[in-house]
Amino acid sequence: MSYLKLEGVEKSYGAARIIRGVDIAAEKGEFVVFVGPSGCGKSTLLRMVAGLEEVSGGEIFIDGARVTDLEPAQRKVSMVFQSYALFPHMSVRDNIAFGLKMSRVPKAEIDRQVAEAARILRMEDLLDRKPRQLSGGQRQRVAIGRAIVRHPKLFLFDEPLSNLDAELRAQMRVEIARLHRNLGVTMIYVTHDQVEAMTLADRIVVLRAGQVEQIGSPKDLYERPANTFVAGFIGSPKMNFLSATVTSRNSDRVELAHPSLAAPLSVIRRGGNGAEPAPGDTVTLGLRPEHLGLEAGDSRIELTADLAESLGGATLIYGQTAAGESVTLQTPGWRSLDKSERFAARFDAAQAYVFDKDGRAF
Amino acid sequence: MNPRSRGQILHALGLIAVLVFTIFPFFWMVSSSFKTQADLLASPPVWLFRPTLANYADVFADQKVIDAVLNSLIVALGSTGLSVILGTPAAFALARYEFRGKSDLWFWFISNRFISPIVLALPIYLLGLQLRILDTHLVLILVYVTFILPIVIWISTDQFRSIPRELEEAARLEGASQFDIFRRIYLPLGLPGIAVSAIFGFIFSWNELLYALVLTRRAVQTAPVVATSFMSGYELPWGKIMATGTVIVLPVTIFALLVSRHMVRGLTMGATK
Repeated sequence: MSYLKLEGVEKSYGAARIIRGVDIAAEKGEFVVFVGPSGCGKSTLLRMVAGLEEVSGGEIFIDGARVTDLEPAQRKVSMVFQSYALFPHMSVRDNIAFGLKMSRVPKAEIDRQVAEAARILRMEDLLDRKPRQLSGGQRQRVAIGRAIVRHPKLFLFDEPLSNLDAELRAQMRVEIARLHRNLGVTMIYVTHDQVEAMTLADRIVVLRAGQVEQIGSPKDLYERPANTFVAGFIGSPKMNFLSATVTSRNSDRVELAHPSLAAPLSVIRRGGNGAEPAPGDTVTLGLRPEHLGLEAGDSRIELTADLAESLGGATLIYGQTAAGESVTLQTPGWRSLDKSERFAARFDAAQAYVFDKDGRAF
Repeated sequence: MNPRSRGQILHALGLIAVLVFTIFPFFWMVSSSFKTQADLLASPPVWLFRPTLANYADVFADQKVIDAVLNSLIVALGSTGLSVILGTPAAFALARYEFRGKSDLWFWFISNRFISPIVLALPIYLLGLQLRILDTHLVLILVYVTFILPIVIWISTDQFRSIPRELEEAARLEGASQFDIFRRIYLPLGLPGIAVSAIFGFIFSWNELLYALVLTRRAVQTAPVVATSFMSGYELPWGKIMATGTVIVLPVTIFALLVSRHMVRGLTMGATK
């Protein structure tokens, strides 16, 4: 049995169904990320694992034991809140020691554990400060320290980095990844930021409107998105979607036509549960901005330039197809294009994605 | 003179007027307590006089006044303390739990204060008589608690509601019991509100006259009762009354200054972003 298992978990507030039958399994030591747009229910799901929200239906198991009806403390999980939730009237030391004091751990043992956590998080010299005397990143570390000392079965993170500025966020992301590697514990991490999801996760759970859209490794989700929602959510900038027509198909390839395509495009089928296409069907062609370029590639699509944004190392070019669909491409180096200049974007047909008219991959 | 500074001057004049109006009676009481009987009765009133401590010597020589101040202290501290001990857990429950009849209970606390105190004076006197607790500290403490408890509950509930819920959730995850959460998180963080309600309660008990007159005789007269008792008889010892008044006001002022430190908000800063 998996280390953490959610079976048909449901949550309703009156008539509103927030979580609609979620099944998730995670192994010991895995880093699982719940990702999705705001309001998709990812935080609610995490709070249900923690025991802070009651489950309306389904079961939750941790380390083989059913915990669905257990009190939060009995589940042996620790949580790092988005707001950190440090106790403002207590010193850093007392904040970290709080859980140990509650479990009546002997004083000497508490001191040893707190010192150990402070060493891991490199904040030995902050122990006597109050939370208000700390910066955002330091508060974050105290919150993590409070979680570490209890040696929980699960670490839960609820959007822990969203209150930090961009630079600190990147730094803390690396620290959390290092912590996971060093402690070898199971972590569940909630975020709306796909970059955090891609960089931290062993396994990503993409949620939308209280339902699981896809579960898989970052590579899986990037290479084989189950539908246009996952395809658009994973990867930055967002995948371009064009409306194309099927001209022919066989078991491993489909051939597509689009007004801006120079020649019919033969795309490898990546598999999925989408409807079997027939010639003449309208489907969605997905092209990632980073797979589009100006020089190399076996296929080409004609575009009209809108705008170019230079980021230094790369340039984002925004163009339009003949059908008026916007297309973003990312090319290395500096580029400048005049507005309305016509140009051809090149790509390899092997890197194109197709989805049926309901957005499912096939 | 530009319009802005004229506005400021008018503003200042208005403030001074309000200040004089509110402080003058206080000033008159304190200054009169240092006057001799002749200066006190002078007409027109004298502003410059030779101060005397005779009135205070009189007051402190009077065992009745000393006893009254002690009685007032016992009753005010007792009723305020009891109200805080009973009121803060009630406020915690009202702030954080949903239970049947919560809004009715809430309204009941408020509606208690709708009734004019004089209406209840006789029934409470009769109750005290039946229970044989008239003219004790206990009867005043119990009656004052019924007035102070709602204040403590309203103010503390409001204060507790402003404490971020994540703090409680974090503590629950750490294995804290309900009582731990109340004692280690809500009480220290709610201290500003609890202090404010304690000040109100203390001042109320200290100054209360009606019930103190009705429910006490000789043994447990409080300070306001004693101050009024000087007015009986054929003479009005103004100096002594004013000195007693000053002595009565002092403890409340000191108490308010001591606890006002806690009224400063911002204790919750740093808990959450």
